[in-house]
Amino acid sequence: MSKIRPQDMGKPVEQVCQIENLMPLPAPYDKPGMEPDFKAPKDSWKENYCATLDGFVGNDTLTRPKTKEEQDEMVKKFLSGLEKLFNADTNRGMLQPFMLSFEYCAKCNTCADACHVFKSSGEAEIYRPIFRSEVLRKIYQKHKKGGSLVNRFLGGDIDINYETVMRLGELAYRCNLCRRCAQTCPLGLDNGLLAREIRKIFSMEMGIAPKPLHESGTMKQLATGSSTGITKDAFLDLIEFMEDDLYELTGKKYKVPVDKKGADILLVHNAGEYMAWPENPAAFTIIMEEAGLNWTLSSDMIGYDNVNYGLFYDDVQGKKIGAAQLKAAKDLGVRRIIQAECGHAHKASMVSQDRIAVGADNIPRESCLPLLEELVVKKKVFKLDPSRNNFPVTLHDPCNIVRMMGIVQPQRNVLKAIAPQFREMTPHGVNNYCCGGGSGFAIMNSFNFTDFRNKVSSRMKFKQILNAFQDTIEDENTPKYVCAPCSNCKGAIRDILEFYQATAKFNVHYGGLVELIVNAMVQFDKPFMEFLRDDEDMF
Amino acid sequence: MFLTLFTYLSIIAFFGLSLYKAAQFAKMPMHGRWELYPVPKEADDKRHYGGSFYEDVEYWNKPRQVSHVGEIVDMLKEMLFIKNLFVNQRRQWWICYAMHLGIYLLFLWAAMLFVGGIIEVSGTAVTATAGGIAGFVYYITLLSGAAGGILLAVGAIGMFFKRIFDETLNKYTNPNEFFNLFFLFAVAATGLVVWSGDIGFNYGREIMVSLLTFSPIQADFALTVHILLLGAVMIYIPQSKMSHYVGKYFSFHKVLWENTPNLRGSEMEKIVKESFNYQPKTKTSWSAPHINPGAAQSEK
Repeated sequence: MSKIRPQDMGKPVEQVCQIENLMPLPAPYDKPGMEPDFKAPKDSWKENYCATLDGFVGNDTLTRPKTKEEQDEMVKKFLSGLEKLFNADTNRGMLQPFMLSFEYCAKCNTCADACHVFKSSGEAEIYRPIFRSEVLRKIYQKHKKGGSLVNRFLGGDIDINYETVMRLGELAYRCNLCRRCAQTCPLGLDNGLLAREIRKIFSMEMGIAPKPLHESGTMKQLATGSSTGITKDAFLDLIEFMEDDLYELTGKKYKVPVDKKGADILLVHNAGEYMAWPENPAAFTIIMEEAGLNWTLSSDMIGYDNVNYGLFYDDVQGKKIGAAQLKAAKDLGVRRIIQAECGHAHKASMVSQDRIAVGADNIPRESCLPLLEELVVKKKVFKLDPSRNNFPVTLHDPCNIVRMMGIVQPQRNVLKAIAPQFREMTPHGVNNYCCGGGSGFAIMNSFNFTDFRNKVSSRMKFKQILNAFQDTIEDENTPKYVCAPCSNCKGAIRDILEFYQATAKFNVHYGGLVELIVNAMVQFDKPFMEFLRDDEDMF
Repeated sequence: MFLTLFTYLSIIAFFGLSLYKAAQFAKMPMHGRWELYPVPKEADDKRHYGGSFYEDVEYWNKPRQVSHVGEIVDMLKEMLFIKNLFVNQRRQWWICYAMHLGIYLLFLWAAMLFVGGIIEVSGTAVTATAGGIAGFVYYITLLSGAAGGILLAVGAIGMFFKRIFDETLNKYTNPNEFFNLFFLFAVAATGLVVWSGDIGFNYGREIMVSLLTFSPIQADFALTVHILLLGAVMIYIPQSKMSHYVGKYFSFHKVLWENTPNLRGSEMEKIVKESFNYQPKTKTSWSAPHINPGAAQSEK
C-alpha cells in the first residue's frame, strides 16, 4: 500500500488506500479493545458515492456518474473549474497564494511530519500533504499540455478520468485546513490552501459540496438566518429559555438585551451553541451583565449566527454571509462586534472577510478572548475563587484563533488566574494540533465519515488530551476539563470523548472558557458546570 | 565573439526573466488575507510566541506596532540559512544547504570576478602576490569560487542521489526535477574541471575583461562547454521551478506575513476601496447553480 503514487489516483482498483497502522494512543488506550474498529463501507455507498479512495465517504453530494456521458461531463466540469483557479477574474481573492503554492513546491516533504492526519493514520500515503497537491499539479499539466513524452517528463503523467476526479473530491476532505504543514514549509507554501482550492472547484463549478456545509450550511443560513435553521422567532424563544435557565441556576433574573440600538458591543455566537451548549451563551450573558457592559444580541437575519462555512469551501458563499453579518451590525448601529467562542467565525469575520467593506460598512470586529482577559485579569471586575476550578484543566488552541490569528496569550492568562491545575498540551500555542473537526469535519456525519474523524483526524488531539491528563487519567473520581473556546472544536472533542468513552470511563469533560470563569464566581452557590453539580463537597 | 554574446544574453536573461516573473506575481490582484503565525513583524513583546495585534482589546483604536527589524531578521534567517528546513528536517538540510550555500558563494565569486575584471581593465593585475585591493579580491575570488563550486557540486549530486534512493522523495520527483539537479551538478563539475587547470580563476577574470571591453572570449574546449552550460542554466532557472527565490519572497511577505488590517481611514482601506473598481477582463464566471443559476439552467 505504501507503494501508492499520485499517478495511481485514476487506477481501476477497488480502494486506493486502506488504513492499517494507526498511531498508538497513550495509556489507558494502549491496551487492545479500547477503541471501536472502523466500519466497512456498505455496498450501496460504494455503488453511489466515492468509497474507492480510502473506504470513507465524506462528500455526500459527490455521487457516482452512471453513464459514460455523465462520467465525461464530470471530468469536463472539473477541468473547467480547474482552469478558473488560474484566472484573475474568477479566483481574484486567492490567485496569488494559489499560484505560489501550486508552482513552487520542492517536494522536500517537510510538511508531512507536521500533519496530524498523516501521522495519526500511520503515515498512509494519500494523506501526505503533498500527495493531494501533486495529483492536482499532474492533472493540470496533463490537461494543459497533453500526454506527450515531453509532458510526462514534466510531470503530466496521470490518467484523468472520472475516478481520478471523484477521488480527488474526497481527498480534499481529508485535510482539516489547519495549515500546520505551511508553518514548516521552507518556501512558505501551503498544501491546506490547495486542498481548499480543490474544494472550491467542486463547489463553485460543479455544485458539489458536503450537505452539512452547503445545503444545510451556507444555503440554509442565507435562507433562514442560521445554519442551524433557527429563525428569528425561534431564536427569541431560545433566549427566553436561556433566561429561565439562568434564573433557575443562579437565582438571579438576567435580561438578555436583544436588538438594542446603538449598543457598544454586538455579541455574536455560533447559533449551534444555543442548542448544543446553551451554558456557553448563558455564561457570556452573566459575564457581560455582571461587568456592566453596554451590549446586545441581534435577532436580525444572520445577525444571531456568526457561522460562516464559506470559509471551508466556497469564496462566494463566504462573502455573501460575511456581508450579511456586517449589515446586521450596521443596522443596529453598534460600535463593535465581539465574536464569541467560535474559531472559524473569528477568522471568517476578522481575516477572510477583512477586504469586503470600507467606511461605515466596516464595523470593527474583535475576539472575545482579549475582552475576557481584560475583565478577569487586568481589571479584575469579578470576585473569583479559583479553588472552585481546582481540577486538572488543559487548553485546546483552535487553529483559526491561534495559528491563523495570533491570539495566544489572553485565554492562557485567564486560565492561569482561575484554574489552579491548568496544564498545557504538548505542543501548544501556534504549534498546537487541530482538534480533527476543522474545516467542517465536526459537522460532517455522513455514512462512515465519523470513523475517519474520530479514529484518524481527531486522534492526535485525543492523544494530546490523554497526555495532558496522564497524572490523573485513570482516577475516575477526579474530573478533568478540556477547555476549547471554539464551537467546532467542542463538537469534535465531544465526539472523541464519547467515541472513546473517555467521559464515562475516565471523567474527562470539555467546554468553553466562559463556563470556567462563571464557575469561579463567588456570588453563585451552585457550580455552573453540570458535571460538578453532583459533588458539591469538592468546594 | 559567440561566447561573449551568449554570456551577455544569459546574464540579461537571468535577471530579466527573474524580474519579469516577480512582476507577474506583483501585479496579481490583491488577495484575501491568508496569514499564518508566527508573523515576525508583530510587536516585540508578541512575535516570539506567535502573538498578534488581535490580542489587544479594541486593537482597531490603537496604533499598529510593526517590527521591520523582526521581519528582516526572520527573512535573513530563511534566505541565508533555510531556517525552516533546518528546524524541521535537519537530515535533508545538510545537503540542501550545501547546494544553496554553494550558489550564494558563486554569486560572491561572480561579483569578485567582476570587480577583478574592472581592476585589470584599469591596469592592475589581480594576482596572489598583488597587494591591497587586488590581492584581497584575488583571495576572496579563490575562496568563494573553490568553496562554492565544490559545495554546489556535492549538494546537487547529493540531492540527486537522495531523491533516487529515498523512496518517498523518489515518488514525488518528476523527471525534469532530476534533470534540474543534474544540470546544476554538470555546471559545477565542468567548472571544477576548468578550475583544476587554473586555480587562481584567472580565466574568469579574462572573461570579465572580455565582457567589459566587448571583445571575444578565448576559451579551450573545457571552458567552452562550461560557459555554454553555465549560460544555459542561467537562462533556464528563471523559467523553471528553481526560480523559487522569486516565489519565496511573495509567499512569506505577501501571503504568510501580510496581516495588515483594513481599518477605517488607513492606507489599506484606500487599497481595498480601489479594488472595488476592478473590471473583469473576461466574461468567465463560476458555473455552480448557487453562483450562476443561468449557466446551470442553460446546460439542462
